[in-house]
Amino acid sequence: MTTPGRGVQPTARSAWAGVLAGIGVAAFADETVFHQLLHWHHFYDRSTTDAGLVSDGLFHAFGFFAVVFGLVLVADLRRGDRLSGRALTGGVLTGAGAFQLYDGTVQHKLLGLHQIRYAVDLTPYDWTWNVVAVLLVVAGVVLLRRARATV
Amino acid sequence: MSAHAGHSLQALLAVAVFAAYEAGAWRLRRRGDRWTPRRDVVFGAGVAATLVPGAPTFTGHMLQHVVLGMVAPVLVVLGRPVTLLLRAVPKTARHRLKRVLGSWAAGVLVFPPVAAVIEAGSLWLLYRTSLFAAIGDEPWLHGHVFLTGLLFTTAVCRLDPFRHRVGLGVRAGALIGAAAAHAVLAKTLYVTPPPGVLLAVADRQAGAQLMYYGGDVVELGLALIVALQWYAARGRADVRARRARSRRTGVPRGARS
Repeated sequence: MTTPGRGVQPTARSAWAGVLAGIGVAAFADETVFHQLLHWHHFYDRSTTDAGLVSDGLFHAFGFFAVVFGLVLVADLRRGDRLSGRALTGGVLTGAGAFQLYDGTVQHKLLGLHQIRYAVDLTPYDWTWNVVAVLLVVAGVVLLRRARATV
Repeated sequence: MSAHAGHSLQALLAVAVFAAYEAGAWRLRRRGDRWTPRRDVVFGAGVAATLVPGAPTFTGHMLQHVVLGMVAPVLVVLGRPVTLLLRAVPKTARHRLKRVLGSWAAGVLVFPPVAAVIEAGSLWLLYRTSLFAAIGDEPWLHGHVFLTGLLFTTAVCRLDPFRHRVGLGVRAGALIGAAAAHAVLAKTLYVTPPPGVLLAVADRQAGAQLMYYGGDVVELGLALIVALQWYAARGRADVRARRARSRRTGVPRGARS
């Protein structure tokens, strides 16, 4: 896939806008739902590695920028009547799923960044988390392929 | 100098800066230039925000730093003080000022990654070395926090005219990098205090979280400023392209071929 720029197909641009917004929304949902509302996640877990902390910081910062920029990209596409709704939705699902999968595997497991929940058996939580992430990615990719086919 | 005298001096300086801004804006308006009142309001709010008082707790200290180093600079930069200065001063002064702004040194300082390293780097030095124990309450330190925040905000937002142009990717990268450095620093403060400082655990953790989430709010604002600038520039480019096309084809403006 190409990076967004001039002369790029409108579906690709819509997809990229969706991916950015999707990553941002997933990061934001993680922060509000699991950190603030449910208090399942910890702000800091003593088993966190330095790499985990840096990865978390980067994705946290990137998430904010991604959601803002994704939305502005959507506004720009709409203005020129070039927005592909299907590609956008596909992008959002792919971005959100990919971030959740990265969070659930690399960040939580490999880098020891906080766990999904504490003082319970983690297995069902981890499986649910990552299976939902894979389903999101699969649904997103299917939509993206269809969006490309209909152009 | 006593703390009280220091505060009075600071207040006096703030009033003088805002008065100078208003004098410049008045001059522009008198000769018929447009200068929206919105800019006066945000600039005034930014200057007022620099007067945020400190507190004996770590949380209070952090609140002061978030306001001084992040909120106040954004408001001041939105008031476009350099643009105003360039337009309000006499011709010779304007030329001199333009030379300074166009200089190699200014170009390096407002190059976003450099400004980000200066801003985030000084925070890391302050909280992760024994500097905080030594100078944590010095009045000039607050000035430094404000000025580095102002430099970073100016470099990323680029609302004032600079000769050196910087692409969106570099600005976004610097913003994300600095925000990540902030977030990581806040999380380390949550578990370990600055060396040589004794803090109550609850106070330290509240302060660290204030730094983390306060930083988020301001970063969101900065991201919005950068993204909306891109949106506006794209709009202008579209209009230009359409005009060029209609000139070539002879189809009048607005009518679609």
